[in-house]
Amino acid sequence: MFALILPAFLVVAALLVGPMVLLARISLNQYSPTQLMIEATTAQNYLNAVSDPYYRGVMGTTLLMAFACTALTLALGFPAAYRLARMESRWKSLVTVMTLIPLLVGNVVRAAGWLGLLGNDGFINASLRGLGLISQPLQLIYTPGAVAVGTIAVVLPYMILTLSSVIESIPRAVEEAAANLGASALTVFRRVVWPLALPGTVAGCVLVFILCMNTYATAVLLGGSQFKMMAPAVYDQFSRGMNWPFGAALAFILLAATLLLTVLGTALLGRRYAR
Amino acid sequence: MITRRSLVAGTAALGLAGTLPARAQSSSIVVGTWGGDYGALLQQNIDVPLMKPQGIEVSQDIANQDPRRTKLIAERTSRRSSMDVACINDIDSYMLSQLGVLETVPVAEVPRLSQVVDVFRKPHSIPHIYSALVVLYNPSKVTTPPTRYADIFDPKYKGRVGLSDILWNFNMAGANIGAGGTPTDFTKGKAALMDLKALQPKVYPSNETLAAALKSEEVWISLMWLARGFMWKQAGIPVEMAIPEEGALPILFEAGVPKNSRAKDGAFKYLNAMLDPQAQVAFARKMGYVPTVKDAKLPEDLAKQISLTEAQQAKLRPLDYATMQAQQGAFSDFWNKEFKA
Repeated sequence: MFALILPAFLVVAALLVGPMVLLARISLNQYSPTQLMIEATTAQNYLNAVSDPYYRGVMGTTLLMAFACTALTLALGFPAAYRLARMESRWKSLVTVMTLIPLLVGNVVRAAGWLGLLGNDGFINASLRGLGLISQPLQLIYTPGAVAVGTIAVVLPYMILTLSSVIESIPRAVEEAAANLGASALTVFRRVVWPLALPGTVAGCVLVFILCMNTYATAVLLGGSQFKMMAPAVYDQFSRGMNWPFGAALAFILLAATLLLTVLGTALLGRRYAR
Repeated sequence: MITRRSLVAGTAALGLAGTLPARAQSSSIVVGTWGGDYGALLQQNIDVPLMKPQGIEVSQDIANQDPRRTKLIAERTSRRSSMDVACINDIDSYMLSQLGVLETVPVAEVPRLSQVVDVFRKPHSIPHIYSALVVLYNPSKVTTPPTRYADIFDPKYKGRVGLSDILWNFNMAGANIGAGGTPTDFTKGKAALMDLKALQPKVYPSNETLAAALKSEEVWISLMWLARGFMWKQAGIPVEMAIPEEGALPILFEAGVPKNSRAKDGAFKYLNAMLDPQAQVAFARKMGYVPTVKDAKLPEDLAKQISLTEAQQAKLRPLDYATMQAQQGAFSDFWNKEFKA
């Protein structure tokens, strides 16, 4: 059995765990502008990150954005996933593939598309101006709203596909039985579909939440230079500030926050489901 | 099915592949460069006409300045660098040479160095092209032409100052000159930028997005390379360029060879070709950057638009590279956490 997982284990160990250990080591080093970093074992980078109001703000923005995008994605994705799961037409596989189409385009290319749509000279502003509804362009790009829209467009297929596979596994007869016993559509959803789909919902939300917490390209391209989330802040420290130890500490703080919230969320919702 | 025998054979083959050279020495090189016009001009004026006849194939590794510098530093202890020639700006060239990333350029292998303007010569890199930071403005909105960097601080341009985020350290240096600071002390420049912040300047993620904002007249005044201003004006963007009276900040775009390049012969030939007068004139025609070699002669009308006069050249205000390196982290923090936040 062990031999079966060995290749995958080795690949993950070499390509993920190895660099992570190296990054963890770097995060304990001391920053030096002339030597890049000085070997040390200090928690100062972590303390600096936690005590700095700027990075607390960046983390707050990241968490707010991740929670809001996950909630909105769930609200948008659930009805679509339900419809997809209950579809019996021959078009079902085509619709499934169409759900996947946004994933065929890279985040950067997709963000470029949003720029064309939301920019000051973009399609929306040009149309509104053409119709005489506005004289000055609406500020649609470089706003948190643009980042939310762009992020949701990235993660929605993950949510829909995760949810639809779970909903598909709920026998339709269970819903029909509830309806036969006089339950309204809303009650069927609240008392039957939702509880039974909860494990899939948790899985979908966890997946989407992790992706949202680590948003990079969408945050940079649609949020503009004054909007900051954690992943671009990590990149800035490595690439612009050349402060690798601090960048590594920020990366681990982001990782820890994502992991903690994911585990907590799964545990809390899992317990609710168990009841 | 994977048998133990086939797995062992496969592993042995992988090990063997690792010992083979990835590419023949000096017959092909990788040039780390910017994309867009810069990369295309390298291809048209150096890679094809000057390197190919020498039997050297060139491929480009396209990225922005910051990731390229980071990559070079990350790879400095590797057996081989992923690029053989790295195109870099002058701040990074200093930092990379201080960190021991760049090889010393051998004069014997780069004979064109003899034609380089003396003030631009450096031990670990060759100067490719240069320009200066100027005040860029929309002449129909900014009716009194600016004369100094400090003109961007004028309250009458509230909400109309646009800056490019990728030029963050050069913007800081320009603002510092405008505020009367010195190359080693940015206190005045930082204070002036904080005052400017109250006037709601707009910071755009790239030069291209700033160009779009200048075109749509969302912003009217900016700090930018004279060369970029020339290009944008050619492209129909309503801008004029004002060279600051107090002296302009020069920018040099350079190229160096990482110490762990496996094709140094070809790489130094490439540096030599970058100093070719015709190739440099081509960059000037298309991108507005001024040649760094004495024997590259620009047509008079072009020279007038993109070059500085002798008096302006005498007043150039170069950066103090040691300060820029020592303060890189602190300046980046100021820009992100105080000015932009």
